[in-house]
Amino acid sequence: MDTVKLYLRSMKMLLRCQMQYPVSFLLQSLAQLVMTGGEMMAVLLVIDRFEALNQWTGGDLLFFFGLMNVVFYITECFARGVTGAFPSLVRTGRLDGFLVRPRGVFTQVICYAADPRRLICIGIGALAMALGSIQSQVIWTLPKVLLLLEAIFFGYFQITGLFLIEAIFCMFSVKSVEVVNALTYGGRSCCQYPVDIYPRPLQMLFTVVAPFGLTMHVPGAYILGKPLYGWPAWSAFLCPLAGGVIFLIMYLFFRRAMRYYRSTGS
Amino acid sequence: MNAYASTFRMRWKMETQYRGAAFGGLFCQLFFGLFLIALYRALYAGKPQSMPVSAIVTYVWLQQAFFRMLLSDDEDLLSKIQTGSIAYDLCRPLNLYGYYYMRSMAQKALGSIMRSVPMILVAVLLPGGWGLAAPASVPALLCALAAVFLGLLCVCAMTNITMGLTMRTLDSRGVRAMLNLLMMTFSGNILPLTLFPDSWQRVITLLPYAQLLDAPIRLYTGEWALSQAPSVLITQMIWTLLLTFLGLIIWKQNQKRIIVQGG
Repeated sequence: MDTVKLYLRSMKMLLRCQMQYPVSFLLQSLAQLVMTGGEMMAVLLVIDRFEALNQWTGGDLLFFFGLMNVVFYITECFARGVTGAFPSLVRTGRLDGFLVRPRGVFTQVICYAADPRRLICIGIGALAMALGSIQSQVIWTLPKVLLLLEAIFFGYFQITGLFLIEAIFCMFSVKSVEVVNALTYGGRSCCQYPVDIYPRPLQMLFTVVAPFGLTMHVPGAYILGKPLYGWPAWSAFLCPLAGGVIFLIMYLFFRRAMRYYRSTGS
Repeated sequence: MNAYASTFRMRWKMETQYRGAAFGGLFCQLFFGLFLIALYRALYAGKPQSMPVSAIVTYVWLQQAFFRMLLSDDEDLLSKIQTGSIAYDLCRPLNLYGYYYMRSMAQKALGSIMRSVPMILVAVLLPGGWGLAAPASVPALLCALAAVFLGLLCVCAMTNITMGLTMRTLDSRGVRAMLNLLMMTFSGNILPLTLFPDSWQRVITLLPYAQLLDAPIRLYTGEWALSQAPSVLITQMIWTLLLTFLGLIIWKQNQKRIIVQGG
């Protein structure tokens, strides 16, 4: 619990830090706004031309797009130490300093950086989700709200877990490894659309290996009232836990890899 | 002229040094191509369009293959602008605009050749409906090749304009991010231009961004017939000349009142 408090406190501090430069913050946020807005426009244009995708209506697609963006950018904002800063920590040797402090290395890495520019992207994601749920006439009930929060919570852990793979590779190769991007950024682009529209191999990849399908699409589909693969309702509440499992596995690997960590000496 | 040719050669040699990184990038790009095709195939299954799905598949593969032509900034030049070592370049007995034009051309040409050759090979071998379709005809292929070359000239002129603007503002990350996004959107990388609403297409195919890859691809797939080829190529040339001219003016003015960052 102490660690969680520490984490929350550092996030607050880092955000306040960045807000000290309001003009720069605003300009960079604007650039992010244009970027995510552009992606949303692409989805809207697809909906405009094709109207529906299998059983998913335009509103459903917008909802899934929003959900993915909210979760992914929450991760990029509040786990920046893992998603962005880690390779430079290794390259500059700053990670060495973490080893001598009386805290876990992972705790320090995740408390190391935050990226408040992503807040605007989270906002756009939320907007898309709201628009989508209105268009699809979702009736919000308490279980559905809780389920959405659960999906976002475990989605955050799952994506952090996937980025940990890159961090682990990075400890051995020093340079960041682009191939893993297929899982992280590739997963983000791919799973903006519900996973069941893809051919089997891609479906397997994004349910078993990188379970975006389980953490986001199964609960998302339940909220929209169109259960994915016709799975029962209780599965919607159980599946997101897969995100926690992925995180746990990768966390254990990360700890093991730390034992083999050799400083670059810089 | 000789000096510009050797600038091109030097940069070319430098680019071939990073084969490992190229391989990783290639893998990612193949993955993205496959996922986009899966998406468009699923969309087409629900509501077929006037343009056949094989043309969209070809569009996606060619966009992915020549991706490096669009997005590749000259990091050297950017850091030179920021550290002030661009002052050394000012001493060279060359036209700076031409010097950097050649550099970015080598970077973009080689970057896209290194990506596109293996990717096109893989894309051709994929089974029907997933792979790259043959060009509409041999003359269409030749026209498309000429159009890619003109597109390359055009994109280099654009890059130089961006760089010219960077020299004025120093920290141009925000501006460049936006210009890059405009480029990705209106050159058809994020969503094929052929899937934009038909009324928009009349305008966006005339924008300079569409001249880079969209025009060559449409010639390749035969969406634009051979009879239209001359007007397409002329549009490309007009934009290239206009943008080069604009870039030259910006660079010339920059050189007159350049402020070198000390340090």
